[in-house]
Amino acid sequence: MKKNKTKVTFLPQNETIEVEKGTTLLEASIRAGVYVNSICGGDGICGKCRLVVKEGDVTAHPTTLLKREDIKKGYVLACQTEVIDDVVVEVPPESRAEGKILIDKDAQRFRALYAPMKGQVFFKYEPLIQKIHLELPPPSLQDNISDHIRLYRSIRRQKKIPIMQTGLKIIKAIPYVLRKGNWEITATLGVRGGTVEIIQVEGGNTTDRNFAVAVDVGTSTVVAHLVNLTTFETMDAEATYNSQRVYGEEVTRRIIYAEQKGENKLREAIVEDINNLITTLISRNNIYLNDIMAVVCAGNTAMIHFLLGLNPSYLRKEPYIPVCTYPPPVRAAEVGIKINPRGLLYSLPSIASWVGADITAGILATGLYQADELTMLIDIGTNGEIVIGNKDWMVCCSASAGPAFEGSGVRSGMRAAEGAIEKVKISEEGKIQYTTIGGGKPRGVCGSGLIDVMAELFKAGFLDRSGRLNPDINGKIRDVKGELEFLLIPSSQTLTKDEIVITQADIENLLRAKAAIFAGINALTKMLSIEFSDIKRIYLAGGFGNYLDKENAVTLGLIPDVQRGRVQFVGNTAILGAKMTLLSKDALDTAYKISRNITYYDLITYPDYMDEFMSAKFLPHTDVSKFPTIMGKIKR
Amino acid sequence: MAFTGLQIYKLLPKTNCGDCNFPTCMAFAMQLAAKKTSLDQCPHVSEEAKAQLAEASAPPMKLVSIGNDENKLEIGQETVLFRHKEKFYHPTGVAILVEDTITDDELDKEISSINQLKFTRVGEEIGINLVALQYSSTNAEDYARLAEKIIEKTALPLILICQDPSIMEPALKVIGDRRPLIYSATRENFEKMASLAKHYNSPLAVYAESLEELADLTQNIKKMGVDNLVLDPGTRKTGSALEYLTKLRRLAVDKVFRPLGYPTIIFTGEDDPFQEIVQAATYVCKYANIVVVKAKNTWQILPLLTVRQNIYTDPQVPNAVDSKLYEIGAVTPGSPVIVTTNFSLTYFTVESEVGNSKVPTHISVVETEGMGVLNAYAGDKWSAEKVAKTLEQQKVREKVDHNTIIIPGLVAVFRAELIDEFGWNVLVGPEEAARIPSFLKNEWKPGSKK
Repeated sequence: MKKNKTKVTFLPQNETIEVEKGTTLLEASIRAGVYVNSICGGDGICGKCRLVVKEGDVTAHPTTLLKREDIKKGYVLACQTEVIDDVVVEVPPESRAEGKILIDKDAQRFRALYAPMKGQVFFKYEPLIQKIHLELPPPSLQDNISDHIRLYRSIRRQKKIPIMQTGLKIIKAIPYVLRKGNWEITATLGVRGGTVEIIQVEGGNTTDRNFAVAVDVGTSTVVAHLVNLTTFETMDAEATYNSQRVYGEEVTRRIIYAEQKGENKLREAIVEDINNLITTLISRNNIYLNDIMAVVCAGNTAMIHFLLGLNPSYLRKEPYIPVCTYPPPVRAAEVGIKINPRGLLYSLPSIASWVGADITAGILATGLYQADELTMLIDIGTNGEIVIGNKDWMVCCSASAGPAFEGSGVRSGMRAAEGAIEKVKISEEGKIQYTTIGGGKPRGVCGSGLIDVMAELFKAGFLDRSGRLNPDINGKIRDVKGELEFLLIPSSQTLTKDEIVITQADIENLLRAKAAIFAGINALTKMLSIEFSDIKRIYLAGGFGNYLDKENAVTLGLIPDVQRGRVQFVGNTAILGAKMTLLSKDALDTAYKISRNITYYDLITYPDYMDEFMSAKFLPHTDVSKFPTIMGKIKR
Repeated sequence: MAFTGLQIYKLLPKTNCGDCNFPTCMAFAMQLAAKKTSLDQCPHVSEEAKAQLAEASAPPMKLVSIGNDENKLEIGQETVLFRHKEKFYHPTGVAILVEDTITDDELDKEISSINQLKFTRVGEEIGINLVALQYSSTNAEDYARLAEKIIEKTALPLILICQDPSIMEPALKVIGDRRPLIYSATRENFEKMASLAKHYNSPLAVYAESLEELADLTQNIKKMGVDNLVLDPGTRKTGSALEYLTKLRRLAVDKVFRPLGYPTIIFTGEDDPFQEIVQAATYVCKYANIVVVKAKNTWQILPLLTVRQNIYTDPQVPNAVDSKLYEIGAVTPGSPVIVTTNFSLTYFTVESEVGNSKVPTHISVVETEGMGVLNAYAGDKWSAEKVAKTLEQQKVREKVDHNTIIIPGLVAVFRAELIDEFGWNVLVGPEEAARIPSFLKNEWKPGSKK
């Protein structure tokens, strides 16, 4: 008989999997649980899923994304290559997992965040999805209520739930599950607004298998955390670049694309990203897809529009109106997210068209909404959002920064993942010390590393106040085809064998990003007539990883020059807040309150914004009196 | 002191009920602080808060009116140093100086030329606001008679320039009911001048050579119950006048220093007609509320009024014309059709060049919220769909017998879209309006007849 199965072995993991002939290497890798980079998700357009065929035969579709010499060495694109015989392939370093975003400090930071607030009451543990183990009395001629009501009765003996609902599909399943389970079952309850829905009934006791995923849907980066709802533990995390990027780096371009070609492509792209993240998380943790009962999304408003298939068009047109800022929980399958088919998708409420649910989540996670003292939250992503307020009032704005601090638009930039340089020191002679996430060889520089590089170059005199590299110093600055660049790590020391550099254009991008954010901070405080010194606490959030050098952030002029003790780096608060709501219905209700009561201030209506922006495009700022502690340290 | 958004917020009910049609109380407070809405939009505000806010919202610079009824000139009540922060509210009054040595015939001529100094620019009529009668040599009787003669010939309000109360009083007896600006109270005469101003219910200018002295004077005059004041900081030199005017505006608006919270008057000092008008234009920009010019030549006036008009438009509300089909010249169904935006400056530039071409033309104005061509295109206010819809609404298909429309050269890129949308031939016009005459004369050809 003709054999139509074939074996694929991945090196260096040495994982072997049997697949049908004609399967692409990318599909094989996903099934084998071997991570291969792919930004486009298999469309053959990103050129990131490079593999080396060591033994065996494959059919490779022609591509322009590989160099001729690479093809000679056996390089193929995993998504464009089909298996026709047993094959051994190697995953080269550049295609390997960018590692997981480190989460070990996450829980710690979470606790630290609440430490300064006295009398803080934690939200009551009441997850959005609860599993209840029930032993029902079997019916009799006397106790002859319906199976459905019997189920309700048993649930209500354990939980006070006045209003419950059940879908027809579950009602149909009830008699079988009850009898097959010999009247011992587990019911899964999901919060839907004011009511609770029975979303699943299973025989036996499955209460230890209750998982959910929290997702931060960003313009550039999508981060997912796997949460065990029984133990409240964050089990794992994974991130990917948002593959909508092929439709435009900026949100506006993506909206225009959606207007012209329909929203579907964009929805499919983000749904695919989320599905891929979930698949990776469950396969790495040996969890069944069926046991993922909910996904909570804290994304920016446009991303939530794309995800839910809402018309994004009016977001970009004056007066910038979202279709919906409080999306109700929906069946995840309805938008194409693959978890338990009855599982729910929750979207945290957003605030305005350009301040999304990620900020609602950030306010929730930092406790800003109940602070006694004036507090500021700065969340640095593709947009820089700024919130100022306390328990009485909150005002927020959004400054369009661009994705430079997420490592995008910067030659050697990458997101905060294994192999990213997260910490850098540069001496006046140009000697470089650095640490990478995970401690291995460097692959690129993430946001916190980029802040360090800029600030260190500035302090050491390689960079002048207007952000120009100074070519005369120590010969460390090279001129490559008319563009100046600073060599950070030579190719011999990197994982990818590509050198890590910072170019004049990179610096321009970073400078613009930091200027937009600082101008937003300045505009908002001026509009409110408050001084930096009135702000008693500054939370700096963003997907920087585990570390951020406050001193260097101030040196750059990214954040105001205030007492350093007042500044606290809080990491990705979008995902933190999303996880809080997963674990507590109270937290979700609070998120709704936050988004209803906060006031959005559109920087478009601030007449001096452009002036503020231009003034902030210097290091640290045109007005050095704003940065008294910095200027003394700068080498002239 | 004007309240900040935060301070106003503290006085509001903080319920976020939304009855004011703003999303939150804070949003309402911020709009109130920016003077973009009024407190009565909130139905739930307490009486106590109302009282506090009313006091605080007293303008930092007083509004002073000169003259009566429909011909009165209102100046002052400015709130900012820089126009782009908000806007300038009351255009600088331009006064023409007339000496009392003038003969009756000369006066007739002068006044009739002042009356004729009216121009229409960007759809708005602009002209002189005041006549200033300078006392120098005649006696009190003649001065009063000249003043009377002026009010017979013109409805414009007057400034009486004389620091001798015994000359001022007879003049006021004759024309006091026209509420002229009495110029001026000084350290020596302020008690008498103030009582005249009180008696005739007229505004009073206060003259001093230092800001300290000005502040003293205004406080003393205010104690006498006279509060309609205009400040003259004394100098006639451009540099020092600019300095004083700037200080006065800053003290009034930024520091809310009430003793100097009044509008200002300044005189030109230059004799050369070019220099004089440059000097006057400087004062219009910063920060005179009345500028008195000699302006011996009528041509000096137009540039001054143009500057004033430009400075005193609201920078946040673009000037717009109505969206309709304009007919320039004796149009026929064969005349060309030009499409443009409803930004006033764009429309009037196109209109005047079309006029210059002497080719009768239809101008179809598309509603673009007062944006120019490129801004409208970038801001999505100008799309093929919208232009086609406008042309339909304006019944262009019925009004002309050809099937060609001309679009601005700057948006050549959307020609094909418009052809698809409207079905007519689309000609790309010039990028600059200055080339419209040659375009209409040499390049315009109607497409095939319908």
